Amino acid sequence: MAVEAQVPYQEAIEVHHPHSWITKYWFSQDHKVIAIQYGITAIGVGLVALALSALMRLQLGFPDTFDFIDPEAYYQFITMHGMIMVIYLLTALLLGGFGNYLIPLMCGARDMVFPFVNMISYHVYFLSVIVLLASYFVPGGPTGAGWTLYPPQAILEGTPGVDWGILTMLGSLAIFIVAFTMGGLNYVTTILQARTRGMTLMRMPLSVWGIFMATVLGLLAFPALFVSAIMMLLDKTIGTSFFMPAISSIGETLDYSGGSPLLFQHLFWFFGHPEVYIVALPAFGIVSDLISTHARKNIFGYRMMVWAIVAIGVLSFIVWAHHMYVSGMHPWFGFFFATTTLIIAVPTAIKVYNWTLTLWRANIHLTVPMLFAIAFVITFVMGGITGLFLGNVIVDVPLSDTYFVVAHFHMVMGVAPILVIFGAIYHWYPKMTGKMLNDTLGHIHFWVTFLGTYIIYYPMHYLGFVGVPRRYFANGDMAIIDSSVEMLNQTITVAALIVGIFQAVFIWNLIYSYFRGKDSGHNPWKATTLEWQTPETPPRHGNWEDKKLPTVHRWAYDYSVPGEEDDFVPQTAPQTGSQPAT
Amino acid sequence: MAEATGLRNLQVVDDWAADVEVFRGVPWGKAMMWIFLLSDTFIFTCFLTAYMTVRMTTSEPWPNPSEVFALEAFGVPVPLLLIAIMTFILITSSGTMAMAVNMGYRRRRGPAALLMVITALLGASFVGMQAFEWTKLIMDEGVRPWGNPMGAPQFGSTFFMITGFHGLHVSAGVVYLAVVAWRVWRGRYEKQGYDIVEITGLYWHFVDLVWVFIFAFFYLW
Amino acid sequence: MAADTGQQHPISVYFWIWTLLFVFSAASYTVDYIGFQGYMRWTLIIIFMMLKAGFIVAIFMHMRWERVALITAILVPPGALLVLVALMAMESDYTWATRILYFGEDPAPVPLPPPSH
Ligand code: HEM
Ligand SMILES: [Cu+2]
Repeated sequence: MAVEAQVPYQEAIEVHHPHSWITKYWFSQDHKVIAIQYGITAIGVGLVALALSALMRLQLGFPDTFDFIDPEAYYQFITMHGMIMVIYLLTALLLGGFGNYLIPLMCGARDMVFPFVNMISYHVYFLSVIVLLASYFVPGGPTGAGWTLYPPQAILEGTPGVDWGILTMLGSLAIFIVAFTMGGLNYVTTILQARTRGMTLMRMPLSVWGIFMATVLGLLAFPALFVSAIMMLLDKTIGTSFFMPAISSIGETLDYSGGSPLLFQHLFWFFGHPEVYIVALPAFGIVSDLISTHARKNIFGYRMMVWAIVAIGVLSFIVWAHHMYVSGMHPWFGFFFATTTLIIAVPTAIKVYNWTLTLWRANIHLTVPMLFAIAFVITFVMGGITGLFLGNVIVDVPLSDTYFVVAHFHMVMGVAPILVIFGAIYHWYPKMTGKMLNDTLGHIHFWVTFLGTYIIYYPMHYLGFVGVPRRYFANGDMAIIDSSVEMLNQTITVAALIVGIFQAVFIWNLIYSYFRGKDSGHNPWKATTLEWQTPETPPRHGNWEDKKLPTVHRWAYDYSVPGEEDDFVPQTAPQTGSQPAT
Repeated sequence: MAEATGLRNLQVVDDWAADVEVFRGVPWGKAMMWIFLLSDTFIFTCFLTAYMTVRMTTSEPWPNPSEVFALEAFGVPVPLLLIAIMTFILITSSGTMAMAVNMGYRRRRGPAALLMVITALLGASFVGMQAFEWTKLIMDEGVRPWGNPMGAPQFGSTFFMITGFHGLHVSAGVVYLAVVAWRVWRGRYEKQGYDIVEITGLYWHFVDLVWVFIFAFFYLW
Repeated sequence: MAADTGQQHPISVYFWIWTLLFVFSAASYTVDYIGFQGYMRWTLIIIFMMLKAGFIVAIFMHMRWERVALITAILVPPGALLVLVALMAMESDYTWATRILYFGEDPAPVPLPPPSH
């Protein structure tokens, strides 16, 4: 079957047009509807996680004030907060949401290659969220094992939710992985096999590259989590000893013997570190497009950016045990993993330089998406540099399990990707709805969020240095802890509450603008990529005109090309012959 | 498909640099199945790595699989007899599957469907023997997922988990084969072609492939 | 999608491979039956295993006839697994050593006698 036969094949696909409300909005096979379903669910469950963080902050800022927060509840908040943020919000929103929305549009495809599987993927994800939230309704409540779920403690008496919560958590994770796999296979296959004429890999927008590599990482890393979840379920339910050594708990010798807790940690982080990049790479990609579009300048070093994404993806599989420096693992591993960890900083730094160089002498429009993009670069550098500290064994050992680590990972994988997600929503909302988001509300939202997160996380580095431990319900009268800590904790809490409440401005903006927003037209940002060239906004089911897919003639970054009338040239515009083909 | 054999390394660059598709001429379903199998490889390898780890770290003796899995034949215990038969069956089913693919592409849907059914039956008999093996292990040898009289409790837990997960794959494959065989027989793929048989075959061969590793690492270690 | 151009090869190839797989399985079984131990055992078993796996992937799954782009895309990523396995093997040795060191259990699990026939 020749390639030439492929495009007409795709062009001729009859999308099955839905009729009833149910097939249009609930069981839809349209990647755009599925994307929005993923997005709404993820943001919804993300708000739960945000509320939990507010409760934690209340306890930390004002200990002994809130009767309903006991240590058990605090552990449950931590666990649910961390897990929801990492998996059910960020992974689902960046890949299920943006991946679904952008891949077919940016590659010039009618839809995902298997829309039915794509639809099922969302509903299975939804199920996983239900099972997760059910944790709060089972006897004993959710597990309080921390988002890393380390055994033995995760399944032993003394940890909250040991009877049911841990089961719903592990079950929910397994279900989530099934959902992710169905979606992920679709994303990867669509990018590899269903692009339109002229769309080579090296002409794809970096958003698609980031999402692509992240999905590949997901398909290869989630198996490790899946396997560990199954084994821990077996340890818990039928008493196998995969992860459980001989142990005596509360004076009683348990039936476990011979298992290896270190095995769990290795499997968990074999998943866990790539997971960090599953969250980061789509953000890297999207922010590159935001910066280039709103700075009216081509991205600096496109090829280098692509290769950096690929290199980071590959390297992310051989750095996992930098999370285990204090675990008692093989003493030689520290050297090995510190080295690989520092190597991964090279492609990452390249990306940061290229973003900066893209901004250099550019025609910067300080739109809301651009503000978020710049905020991302600053925050990411901040979190990345503390990562270099923590990558060194000798520095990590005293800082491990302190607030320094909390500050680091919130900067680098919490706040930074969230900023990109906000920027991306302000950027693509017009395409999704045909309406612009309100600019004033956007600015308010941006400044409160950006400055607020600095007030929250900046002092945490200091807390870590003075020795405040992570995952502590209260510090009590610990002699080692400085008196400045109390005041700082109160400040952080106040800032966190303000930031949390101000997210309502954003939600309100989403709803308000949908009904009252300014019409956006097809291409409000004058962007080059394919999704802005659709014949309709929002694009119809099937994206392009019947029997006609767009043809791509150039890369995605022809901004401010000398000699061109407009300051952008869409990817669909034929080469005029004077410029070199890209 | 063999146009550029002389310059293979360049061909690969061309393919990755092409528009529309990277895997030239590979149908979507087949590309997706390959990627799924890659992901599944990671699942099975994680299981096997976990097995390796618990086996290498245990300080209790590990039961000798050749003895545990021996069967009495004509009055003498033959080591791994049933396992040998199961291996043989799975390999044979891979052979019939490969022929089904061939028949499909020749558009001989009768033989293709028949060969798929034979494959499914062989698969079902494999699962049946596995059930027998499990029963014997549980009833006669007293092996349980949480312990056994012969040594390290991880012997039972890894055995049941890994062969169980593999057995689930085989069972799912039997259902998958049956459905596709039925549709092939009904002529459902006359228009769109018989790639589906090859795709089903990929899954089936993969199940066989996993067994090769289980055989070597679990039964022969 | 257009058919009839997919993977089609003479049936005799499959019979050959079927026979070979059978032979290699029998060979690795024999290694156990004879009771080879140590390096000899593991070299042989792994060679036969890799041969079987290779033939299944190359011939039955038609990898041999696929384009290099597909071959590399599928065969390169499992390299990450080799790193995992190698490091976990080291880790396991270390765990075992510490267990023996701190809990002082019998360092050498009594080697079971080779199966007697
Ligand atoms: C305003 C927003 C947020 C606030 C106020 C917040 C606050 C907190 C607090 C107080 C903890 C517990 C620290 C401890 O006691 O050791 C925590 C843990 C954590 N947070 Fe956040 N967080 C926020 C957003 C996020 C985001 C966006 C992510 C996404 C990656 C995230 C991921 C985590 C993780 C993984 C943990 C560790 C949980 C554990 O130790 O098991 N957080 N957060
Ligand atoms: Cu990491």
